[in-house]
Amino acid sequence: MPVYLDNAATSWPKHPDVFAAMARFMQEDAGNPGRSGHSMSVAAARTVFAAREAVASIVGAQSPERVVFTKNATEALNVILFGLLTNGGHVITSSVEHNAVMRPLRYLERQGVRLSVVVCDGRGLLDPDDIRRAVSPETKLIILTHASNVCGAIQPIAAVGRIAREYGVPFAVDAAQTAGSEPINIAQDYIDFLAFTGHKGLGGPQGTGGLVLAEDRDLPPLLHGGTGSLSDSEYQPEFLPDKLESGTLNAVGLAGLAAAVKVTAARFDVLRQRKKELLATFFDGLAAVPGVKTYGPINPEQNAGVVSITIRDRVSSEVGLALDRVFGILTRTGLHCAPAAHKTLGTFPQGTVRLSLGASTTSQEITTALEAISRIADMAG
Amino acid sequence: MDENCGIITFYSSSHAVHAEKVLKSAGYLAELVPGPKDISPNCGVALRYDYENTDKVKELLEQKGVAYEACHLYRAPQRKSLLDLLLGR
Repeated sequence: MPVYLDNAATSWPKHPDVFAAMARFMQEDAGNPGRSGHSMSVAAARTVFAAREAVASIVGAQSPERVVFTKNATEALNVILFGLLTNGGHVITSSVEHNAVMRPLRYLERQGVRLSVVVCDGRGLLDPDDIRRAVSPETKLIILTHASNVCGAIQPIAAVGRIAREYGVPFAVDAAQTAGSEPINIAQDYIDFLAFTGHKGLGGPQGTGGLVLAEDRDLPPLLHGGTGSLSDSEYQPEFLPDKLESGTLNAVGLAGLAAAVKVTAARFDVLRQRKKELLATFFDGLAAVPGVKTYGPINPEQNAGVVSITIRDRVSSEVGLALDRVFGILTRTGLHCAPAAHKTLGTFPQGTVRLSLGASTTSQEITTALEAISRIADMAG
Repeated sequence: MDENCGIITFYSSSHAVHAEKVLKSAGYLAELVPGPKDISPNCGVALRYDYENTDKVKELLEQKGVAYEACHLYRAPQRKSLLDLLLGR
């Protein structure tokens, strides 16, 4: 059995309820949801709706129809960014964003959008007052990651949300690393648009994700097409969720997601507590290994479960290979699709070894990882 | 379908499924059926319910924020429905 510490990339293993739900869906309910009126299409529509309700519940959204499904968080972020910024304006973001945010923003910048990148501190944390200082009359959006996929730094989203609300600026949050594992409440965190993925903290399959819109928020569609509604019209519907969901959904994936979110929500507090305890043990252990440098917040309350390290002057990929082949520990090395974050942390261009905890991570696995890192650091000395 | 029954039509299947949940939770009989194309070209699913409850049902849906197109008293054409014919009713 591998020691899987790459949960920031995708969570593993998934709960058995997830594949049971997907297998059952494929065998019994797998009509095209919301298209035909027959019993299988209706069964599929109910399954998709259950996924909407589950996601709405875990993020504190009032109506399930404001949960829009996409194939992943990246697509959801594109819907938000291209929906709000194609006519120009000013946008504010942080210096530790994932490329799912930075690449669309840099592209939009080339099209004439003014981009302010607020610099985070050496641990990857943002000061909300720096956001306040960046706001201008032309600001159309503030977009922030909830937690860094490189160093785990959990950003003060409620504080930033409050500032955004004060200035009447929409606030978007990239919850790829936190949905399902850190508390999120759309209303209490002043979030207008939340992007999430199904296959990380929520424990669902790849190919699921989406966005949640606050009650009074709207977006134009990125994709236009068939929605199974207003079939007499050649124009996209104006109501949610159909407006932002063209084409057939990944219904089998959503059957898995519905089951996953149910399990995750029921175990939320227990899993989070355990993760924080394991993080504390991990950071304590790492601090005792000569030659190991850690990046990001070492206070478990400020860390979403992602630990980035370097070992002496060894190339991160070499360390990752050793961890995998010699010790069976699976990690991700390099720049983690977040060059901006590595520049902020001072690990660009060499990157880091990233170990990310998940719902199934045990204290034995943390012990094993610490022993392996110790051995490697010894060898590398 | 019965000769006279209540049919709620919707713009989106998400709304239809939501309405079914809301009505059933409140103790009303509600069943998702193929949307009758002779009353609405819209969503492929509609909700059959007891037409006598229309006022209360409308109030409930509005209260719960569930969007719907309209509540219809559906009078099937004056001949036996296909379902009745095929099932020998």
